[in-house]
Amino acid sequence: MSIRDRAWFPIIYMFVITLLLSAVLILFGSATRQRVKNNERIAYERAVIQSLPIDLPARLSTSQIHQIYITNVYDTTEASAGALRYIKHDTLVGYALPIQGPGFWAPIKGVIGIAADGKTITGVSFYEQNETPGLGGEITKMEFREQFVGKQISQSGMPVQFRAATDPLDENSVHAITGATQTSNRLSRFLNEQLAIWRERITARQ
Amino acid sequence: MSFGSHMLHLVVILFAAIFTDNILLARFLGMCSFLSVSRQVKTAVGLGFAVVFVMTFTISLDWFAYRYVLQPYGIEYFRFILFIIIIAAFVQFIEMAIERYSPVLYQNLGIFLPLITVNCAILGASLFMVIRDYDLAEGIAFGLGSGIGWMLAIVAMAGIRERLNNARIPKGLQGPGITLIIAGLMALAFIGFTGVLSSR
Amino acid sequence: MIAQKKTGDVILTAVWGDNPVFRQILGICSALAVTNLVLNTIVMGTAVMFTTALSGLTVSLLRKWTPRIIRMMVEVLVIAFYVILFDRALKAYWPDMSRNLGPYVGLIITNCIIMGRAEAFANANPPGLSFVDGFFSGLGYALILLCVAVIRELLGMGTLLGIPIPFFSSALWDRWIIMVMPPGAFFTLAVIVWLARTVQRSKQVTSGGNK
Repeated sequence: MSIRDRAWFPIIYMFVITLLLSAVLILFGSATRQRVKNNERIAYERAVIQSLPIDLPARLSTSQIHQIYITNVYDTTEASAGALRYIKHDTLVGYALPIQGPGFWAPIKGVIGIAADGKTITGVSFYEQNETPGLGGEITKMEFREQFVGKQISQSGMPVQFRAATDPLDENSVHAITGATQTSNRLSRFLNEQLAIWRERITARQ
Repeated sequence: MSFGSHMLHLVVILFAAIFTDNILLARFLGMCSFLSVSRQVKTAVGLGFAVVFVMTFTISLDWFAYRYVLQPYGIEYFRFILFIIIIAAFVQFIEMAIERYSPVLYQNLGIFLPLITVNCAILGASLFMVIRDYDLAEGIAFGLGSGIGWMLAIVAMAGIRERLNNARIPKGLQGPGITLIIAGLMALAFIGFTGVLSSR
Repeated sequence: MIAQKKTGDVILTAVWGDNPVFRQILGICSALAVTNLVLNTIVMGTAVMFTTALSGLTVSLLRKWTPRIIRMMVEVLVIAFYVILFDRALKAYWPDMSRNLGPYVGLIITNCIIMGRAEAFANANPPGLSFVDGFFSGLGYALILLCVAVIRELLGMGTLLGIPIPFFSSALWDRWIIMVMPPGAFFTLAVIVWLARTVQRSKQVTSGGNK
């Protein structure tokens, strides 16, 4: 009777194979752990910087991003109401408010940049999203994001209106993404909720 | 959250998973068996029940596995392997049960029963449960809803295809071609549901 | 064991004769949703080729040892192993793409083609041939997806690989948003399947094929 005919062989076999493959995965996983962590960190820092009014070269290396982030971006304080502060030459240039909420597939996380006046939006950027590529995923594209630049946070009601692509825009509205109604609606909901809360808190401070 | 509003929350997750976020027509998951096992309503119903059953149970098992095995050790990227093994083992168990108690169904489903293992809808549902941070009750509601939604879609598809048996379809379009077009039309119809309910 | 097959025949059958997508309509779940952009489709196709080829090789190497009753579990395990490797590598070395594809890479595990090739071919054939079969099955699959993606991105967005295409990106072309949305994938694939089947059929008729 060969070893392969024994009743315990399948169990041992499965066990050995699992152990072998898992060992390789764990090795590879821990070898890349630092890299993956850094990537996530950089994605966040890039989102913060992209949302702020900073003149940037077209391509920015990861070390440049990190450099700008650690020199100019400061933690949130009581007065900034939960937003990061962007300070250059000892003057406050803008705020970066992290926002997050449910998307169509999974949570969306991003940053809204607001000028020091607390009213003008200087940009938005997203560092974590799993929306459908080509549809909801378009929120990460320049065409969608640059619409926000220069918009005013409306001082009553919804801070930023999302309108259909055919509707005219005013100083506090942007176009939603055609074909990605769900992503647009969900983004609009949590973005406005969180921006409205920040608006209350920052006006109370000023 | 009060008990009443918590129940309502679960009901919303359940119905959203069935209609607005239908895992098959809105998310494309579980297409293989949807296209190949939808010739007859009877087999479609059988497979549908199997999916509902497997999905609801595996999602709870996966929840425990994720919460108490993967998370504590920080090896979340192992979830693909662990989830799929749980599913494979569970399906193997179901297969034996069906073979024992309903040989007719077993014959009809043929090679497709093992393919439940590779039914992306089932793994997909578990992965969404992780991504969306559902608790156990929410996860079960979501699994049940996704299963029912999948079953609804495949039974509807089988119903339509039974009626196509006598239709004159261009030769090249027969079989998969026409099925894909029907699936497209159904997906279009289900887009109409989006926005009626929101799962959060 | 089955009589030795020729590598060339295996390739031709894998890519054309038995093309997993239009002959068998298998494995479209995990990839249909990403076919609205060509670049994502290429990466996704590469991931599938990588996994089918290597899992075919591994399953074939193990085939004489694997007990029959746990065969499926072992196949799933091997496939999951390669998919996680790919997913992890993407996360570490191409984070932007990894973010684009989101949950879809993981879902390659459940791609029926990979499982199907492991089950139907690699289980009964030598490693080298299984590798070739897996690779070209993956290629056949990737090519179809690429066709779908080219049509969808061009008609739906007026671009290819993100580069605007003359005429299609101009005001003369009214973009077909439906092509970017899920139903567009079904319709495009249906037309491709229709064309491919018609061509195959007419060839068989002229050559007196008996299939």
